Amino acid sequence: METLGDASRQALYLLFTGDKELWTIIGISFTVSLRAILFATPFALICAFILAYISFPGRRLLISLFNTALSIPAVVVGLTLYMLLSRVGPLGDLRLLFTQNAMIVGQIVLCFPILVAMGHSALQATDRRAWETALTLGATPLRALVTVIHETRFGLTAALVAAFGRIIAEVGSSMMVGGNILNHTRNIPTAIALETSKGSFAQGIALGLVLLLLALALNLALTTIQGKGEVAP
Amino acid sequence: MKLQGINFSRSGRTILSDISLQFGIRELTLLTGHNGSGKTTLLRILAGLLKPDSAALELDGNRLTGGWLRNRGILRANSCYLHQQPYLFDATVFDNVAYGLRRRGLNSSAIEHLVGEALEATALSHLRRRRCGELSGGEKQRVAMLRAWVLAPRLLLLDEPVANMDKPSRSKCLALINQMQCDNIAVVLTSHDPQQGELQISRHLHLYQGRMVSKGSSKNSPDDNSRDEIE
Repeated sequence: METLGDASRQALYLLFTGDKELWTIIGISFTVSLRAILFATPFALICAFILAYISFPGRRLLISLFNTALSIPAVVVGLTLYMLLSRVGPLGDLRLLFTQNAMIVGQIVLCFPILVAMGHSALQATDRRAWETALTLGATPLRALVTVIHETRFGLTAALVAAFGRIIAEVGSSMMVGGNILNHTRNIPTAIALETSKGSFAQGIALGLVLLLLALALNLALTTIQGKGEVAP
Repeated sequence: MKLQGINFSRSGRTILSDISLQFGIRELTLLTGHNGSGKTTLLRILAGLLKPDSAALELDGNRLTGGWLRNRGILRANSCYLHQQPYLFDATVFDNVAYGLRRRGLNSSAIEHLVGEALEATALSHLRRRRCGELSGGEKQRVAMLRAWVLAPRLLLLDEPVANMDKPSRSKCLALINQMQCDNIAVVLTSHDPQQGELQISRHLHLYQGRMVSKGSSKNSPDDNSRDEIE
């Protein structure tokens, strides 16, 4: 078994020599998670806005459901999707199982409640006068929504960072519906799980470093945005 | 612009009852009343931000028969409402004043010209690049008024614009209101205080428990005793 020092040295070597397999895994991770978050965000924001600004029967129940969904284990999402997408499942004909699209669906299910719950909290805390002021100054409801989102940008950026952090690092769903196929559905967390089970730690550490650097970069970006005044839309 | 038969209730409680109002250009209407008398509710209905239980809208002599959604659009297009403590977007003074003009699709040079002119006319040019979070309460109020003014609405609705202001800020705000009134805008402003000496008030309306209890010039505004008699 490699020592931690040896494994770390090897990990850095793999990273900086542009190891093809390693960088393919990193590429897949980012492509899948970015697509998931890009797809989920607009719908989640609209959902969060409706929950924060519009009163309707069942609203509180819906908020509670989204808050509960925050703690759904990724593996349960993976299991449910596996049953739905498997050949004998109701969505088997779509032939999505063990594809990147299936991983994206799983990650959307995981990040959507985070975006809605945190987005709702951020929008709820925003001054309602922002919405009314935008409307009274001639903004359409859609434009007023954009203005409110801009006024809430710090809270919403935090929601985005939290949601992206959750899905880029999840193993359960990606492993079950992606199948951990090399060069196709193997992403950072599933690769780390596999390499560790094989006793090969160098690639695992290298990939772990990438995740850590990503977390650092995201938080630095968030701090920069929060500290920097921006021009209104 | 004329609104007739405005009724509004919430949770079974009547807030406004059979209010009728008419506004002409260059009119400054002072709307007084105690807390909870319905002043803010009335302004928000006039601004198209609150749906009344019933109301009939007349514009340029034509009675509008469309539903509330249509009337709301017309009210929003013709009026501008300022909260008691106006909300300024997290941006510079220039961007705030330009917000409504941008929504109207004006090009950037026209916006630059209009905003610059307005800032100059109100002696606020020095705040042009200042972020709104850095302004004093009086400056915020004036910037918010200016933001509404550049849109040249038919009806400007000011909710207690000088409440809790020191004397110099109050004077500057009232001067700005007078300036706006001279610019073909009908101004409605609410206040607890019927004495607004520095304003050229055209009409004084008083609300008491959701009803209009007096109409007249500012000089014969009711005091508390006469209001009790009316009731």
